[in-house]
Amino acid sequence: MHETLQAFVKWLENTPWGVAVRGSSWMYPIIEWVHFSGLSVGLGSSVVVDLRLMGEGRRRMSAAQLSDSLFAWNWIGFCVAFLGGFLLFSADATTYVSNTGFCVKLGVLTPLALIWHVVVQKKTPAWTHAEEKSAIGKWAGLVEFLLWISVISASVYFLLTNAVTHP
Amino acid sequence: MWETLQHAEWVATLAESRWLYGLISVVHYCSLFFCVGTIVLLDLRILDIANHNRALAALAEQLRPSTWIGFGFAMVSGFLLFATEAGDYAAVTPFRVKMLIIVMAVIFTLIVQWNVAKWDRAPVMPIAAKLLAVASIVLWLGAILVGVEIAPITGLG
Repeated sequence: MHETLQAFVKWLENTPWGVAVRGSSWMYPIIEWVHFSGLSVGLGSSVVVDLRLMGEGRRRMSAAQLSDSLFAWNWIGFCVAFLGGFLLFSADATTYVSNTGFCVKLGVLTPLALIWHVVVQKKTPAWTHAEEKSAIGKWAGLVEFLLWISVISASVYFLLTNAVTHP
Repeated sequence: MWETLQHAEWVATLAESRWLYGLISVVHYCSLFFCVGTIVLLDLRILDIANHNRALAALAEQLRPSTWIGFGFAMVSGFLLFATEAGDYAAVTPFRVKMLIIVMAVIFTLIVQWNVAKWDRAPVMPIAAKLLAVASIVLWLGAILVGVEIAPITGLG
């Protein structure tokens, strides 16, 4: 398992895109920007629905209406974030996988948050109808909110421990 | 003035504590994604030509408090991060450019928010509305771009 992972990250680093991003002085921050821009749209559209499910803030739209109207951009945002993140990872894959914060983020927290997000998205119409009777939507929204904060915390952890430094 | 801030006792504590600095960074990332995300989502909806059921005013009202709460948190946490190297940040061009872009972006967002109910009632989305929405997207994403460029250009952060 460990050897397969090592072989995979070595291969990833030596892909043309991995080599290009690592060797360039301007590409890394630009791709970071792409990653952050996608995240803003993806996370923004997820978290406003979570907060609405929790009953926080304005009630001009129901959670179901809000989720429905932001659906397309929600996934476009996440796809852009994934693409950016994949390129950043490719550039320094072996260094990243040696950092605990990064492994927790990509191996545990991000998959968990995404799976939870899909469940919340599927269930939001039902929870919106049951809003008065059941608190499950509130808790589910809170859990997704906290999961995304944990993903960002793990990311800040590996950024501040200087897992990867670029000239 | 900024040098004094940087050397204040509480700022030094903040700069030396990896946990505090990390915590404030987490708040800054979370709130800036949330703030910029909600702004860009509204701008994208204004640009949405194919969407006949616009419900633009409702979406704007729903998102507005989120946007400014996110902005408030991003500003306070950003100021604290700035304080740890205040003298250096204040002296470099990319940081000044970032602040200028944010001021402009806030103005554009306020203009969009003030007019969005009117645009929603219009039979066709006014061209001015679309231009303002594009300008807002460019400015906010521009602020993030300058933000990520500060470290590689100046070595700060």
